[in-house]
Amino acid sequence: MLLHTLSRSPAHAALRDCLAVLAPGDALLLLGDGVYAALAGSEAAALLAASGADLFVLDADAALAGVRDCLMPQATLVDDDGFVALSERYSRQLAWY
Amino acid sequence: MLADSAFDPEGFLRDLRDWTPDVAAQIAAEENIQLTPAHWEIVDLLREYYLQFDSSPAMRPLVKWVAQRLGPDKGKSIYLLSLFPGSPAKLGSKIAGLPKPDNCL
Amino acid sequence: MKPVGEHTRRSILVVSRHAHPGSSLPRSALDTALAAAAFDQPVTLLFQGEGLLQLLPAQDSRAAGVRNLRKVIDSLPLYDIETVYVDAIAAAAFGIARDSLPASARWLDTAGVRQLLASHDHVLGF
Repeated sequence: MLLHTLSRSPAHAALRDCLAVLAPGDALLLLGDGVYAALAGSEAAALLAASGADLFVLDADAALAGVRDCLMPQATLVDDDGFVALSERYSRQLAWY
Repeated sequence: MLADSAFDPEGFLRDLRDWTPDVAAQIAAEENIQLTPAHWEIVDLLREYYLQFDSSPAMRPLVKWVAQRLGPDKGKSIYLLSLFPGSPAKLGSKIAGLPKPDNCL
Repeated sequence: MKPVGEHTRRSILVVSRHAHPGSSLPRSALDTALAAAAFDQPVTLLFQGEGLLQLLPAQDSRAAGVRNLRKVIDSLPLYDIETVYVDAIAAAAFGIARDSLPASARWLDTAGVRQLLASHDHVLGF
């Protein structure tokens, strides 16, 4: 089980490559421009929901991008401490950018 | 004799197209090495390595490469150290006119 | 040299998924793999997505002043990196034929890629 982080917008190949390996039981944390992938009703959000992975969004980045209030319901907002806790829970981490 | 400007501050040739056997002897002399046929055998293999793999080898692949090409007796750190004291990959690459190895440990 | 203890040898998977030479990440991925191998750490390379385009054999990068990465990749067995893994789905998408890739390449489907990610101590994405 892995913790994936995605920091590119959904128009970038990083999302496609990540989705190709994202498995149920993995966690995905969206940060930077990656937060746009969790926009409710978007194509990316539908694909992420179907992946079966646990979805997290970095709160500060979502706020900065102005998407904090329009995220898909499956996504959980986490702060920096939450990011650290996720890193501790998953021994392997893979960054998609 | 090539001018000093042909070399970087560490003595590596800036442009490997400037390399000739005489240049190799010049670089070796700077390092207090008199090139013998045994040295040349390794220098030629290093140039071949560069052509084939577009990089200068670190020590470990150099040993393996020499072992494959010249047999297990020469494909040994101790043998290469006897020819190129200190750091055979670095010193050998320098004399062969190649860039400094990236992963030279 | 003293034997390397179990705890000091961690398996590393390097995932390279950008195209060369438009990005410098592929070069960093290879340098990381070679450095880890030189430190006697077990390293595996996976070429995913557009990253597998680095494996195309006829790169003529001399004029551009960049490395021919396929040639560097061909030196991996000398660093005791015997196998490179290739994302078969991306290869199909890019129309890459198997015979244009190194003989040491092993093709993985999605399940195989997931298995590879799960079986290494560290995963580094480039």
